[in-house]
Amino acid sequence: MKKSIRRSALVVCAAASALGLAAAPSSAAPSTVWTVSPSPAAFQATNVGNIVLTATIPMTCTTSNAAGTMASTTGNPGDVADITTMNFGASGSPCTSVLGNVTTTSVTPWDVVAVDYDAATGVTKGYVGNVKANVTAGACKFTVTGKASGTYTNSTGVLAINSTAGELAVSNPVNCGAIVTTATKPTFKGNYAVKVAGSSVIPTIVGSNP
Amino acid sequence: MTAKPAAAPRPPRTRARARARSASIAAFVVLAALVPTTASASGTQEVEAELPYVCALPSGQLPATVRVAAEFPARAEAGEAFTPSGVTTTVELPEEAVADLAGHGAAGVRAATRLEVGVAQNAATARATWRGDAEPVELPESGPLTLVARGDVPSVAGRGDGDLTFSAGSLAIDLVLEAADGTATDAATATATPDSGTRPGSPAVDCTLAEDAPGQGLLATVPVGTGTGAPSGSPSSPGPAGTSGAPDEGQPDGRGDRQRERQSERSPEVLENTPGTAPDRDDVPPCRYDEQHPPTDVSLNAYVTGYANVKKMKGAAYLPPSCVLIEQGVPVPGPPDPDYLIFDTVSYANFHYQERRQTPPFEATFLSFDFTPVKATMVLEQTDTMRIDSRMKMSMTDFSTTTDTYVRAPLVLHVLDLEVNGTPLDVGSECRTETSLMSEDPDPANFPGDHLVLYGRGELLIGQPATGYLLLSGGVLSGEATIPAFTGCGTDGEDLDRLLTASVSGPGNLVKQVQGQTCAIAAPVFPSPTNEGQCTEDLQPYEIPVAEH
Repeated sequence: MKKSIRRSALVVCAAASALGLAAAPSSAAPSTVWTVSPSPAAFQATNVGNIVLTATIPMTCTTSNAAGTMASTTGNPGDVADITTMNFGASGSPCTSVLGNVTTTSVTPWDVVAVDYDAATGVTKGYVGNVKANVTAGACKFTVTGKASGTYTNSTGVLAINSTAGELAVSNPVNCGAIVTTATKPTFKGNYAVKVAGSSVIPTIVGSNP
Repeated sequence: MTAKPAAAPRPPRTRARARARSASIAAFVVLAALVPTTASASGTQEVEAELPYVCALPSGQLPATVRVAAEFPARAEAGEAFTPSGVTTTVELPEEAVADLAGHGAAGVRAATRLEVGVAQNAATARATWRGDAEPVELPESGPLTLVARGDVPSVAGRGDGDLTFSAGSLAIDLVLEAADGTATDAATATATPDSGTRPGSPAVDCTLAEDAPGQGLLATVPVGTGTGAPSGSPSSPGPAGTSGAPDEGQPDGRGDRQRERQSERSPEVLENTPGTAPDRDDVPPCRYDEQHPPTDVSLNAYVTGYANVKKMKGAAYLPPSCVLIEQGVPVPGPPDPDYLIFDTVSYANFHYQERRQTPPFEATFLSFDFTPVKATMVLEQTDTMRIDSRMKMSMTDFSTTTDTYVRAPLVLHVLDLEVNGTPLDVGSECRTETSLMSEDPDPANFPGDHLVLYGRGELLIGQPATGYLLLSGGVLSGEATIPAFTGCGTDGEDLDRLLTASVSGPGNLVKQVQGQTCAIAAPVFPSPTNEGQCTEDLQPYEIPVAEH
């Protein structure tokens, strides 16, 4: 299992990491039973390091957090968690870009979808789906929808989001000029430390194929 | 017990003192600390004072130790503004205070300090607030909590001869408590009484100087002018006098004595209306679109404030927060470049004060020709729309991004009132610079005509927060202005043009303005736990910026 590629943050280089993520499927049969521990349970997630969003130009969020519920499920892909709160930036630490401060309002729920599990490493591959967020920077407004690939590592509790170009799309850009258009391919990259809500317990996801 | 000026023999540095625990030891340390720790050849004195305080915490009145370090000039001329630099305020709160904070679920704390500093010269006094921000620190498991806050402080000018003293007064500590996961705790409000000067949502711990503080909190003494036992440098000499229109109170033969006597009654001037502090919203003019100025879907508003140096006066004029209405441009592709992706944006802006394209009136007090106090009330009036050109460049190799912004502002300086040496002079209603304030334009072919040019740059390295000036989020804009000659000044045959031109007009006047975060009218962002506020509920700019020197 590959580690998330944290430094490649731009559309232009995202294609390469897309190849990296798409390659190396697990040799075992696809998991169809997803065991989440504890289950069901509420979780919270806080960014580890800065989050980088791009929409042609990069934006940096020094604060980002998420919360929701998780539960065991069956099927492939398997929806193992719902993200009901997804914040980018906070009072006192807005997300920034050279356009100016960027405000992102997430339209939830988003899903955490498991696709592949590597029992040797305890890493689940999948994506955050049903992504929808309204973004503003001054008078420039647009909506981002789609999904963002990522991995979850049981040993660390880190959800590493490393979306690839083309997974997210822009709709309804207004007053953004040439910087953000419907042809823009946004990306979302960053790591989140996931805990069972109100505790320091790291939840685990285990995929199996009985 | 004063800090000695630069010529004193260099005393041993006292920075690395052990922390004093008892009052008696603290008192001894204060005695030692008030000796300047460094006296440099360049005419500065470095001071570190250790002072006992009493802080109001939930568990009661607790002693605290406050160390104030700063660098002052060894001496200054009358009317010469100077800024204490390297100001560091270190607060050591006792273990009981740590228990108070930890008891509310905090694992760490982020602090800002507001130290009231009394400035006195002879019998006259003024007050300044020295603000500092401290890096977040974790609460120690045992022992005291040490907060180290740094920040810029307002300039000060002694208006006459005599020692200018700086004394520490009350201290407020704004605290934001952080839980172990880095989020702010809401229990913070339980720790102390919020006061009106605190940041939103943060409590303040109020501390007062202990009664037994030696020297009543004296931090430093800066000799000003002549006859003060000045150690080094030549005594100041009055500049050339006798310009037409200037009052003749201070003429040779006894002029100095009379002037000293007169000026001894004047307070030293802290060169900010509210030093280092954003003015209350009630004190700044409104900044909103109205029927005469309806917003569009790209309308923004923002406050801007700052200083403009007047080189001939050796002083700075403070421009109070002024409303600017901005029409944000739409980015278009810039010139092709093999190494960069470039976008250009042209925005337009107007000052907005009482339906006029001007700043609010602002006052500035200077010492003309080094000795005559001149108080002018002025406004900056636009003669045309201000243009804002922003060029965003993204490197195709490391994806770093920059935005260079040039603000071109055709602004004449309109003098409304003038007092020379306390005597009002009637300048009439048409006393202005002949043309706009002027700057050298980096692109004169495309931007002819007289206008002020201010420049700011914002940048973002991949994965890091953006820094610097950006039109939407604000920041520091700076430039250099030539002040043109004055015209239309004076009434009843008294021509004040020459007086003003001689004492004010000329090149090399630095301008530094701070713009606040804009409010986008069609996409307002209101303050919330998850969002940095950009707009008030009635769509005025949420941020009132603070002027910087």
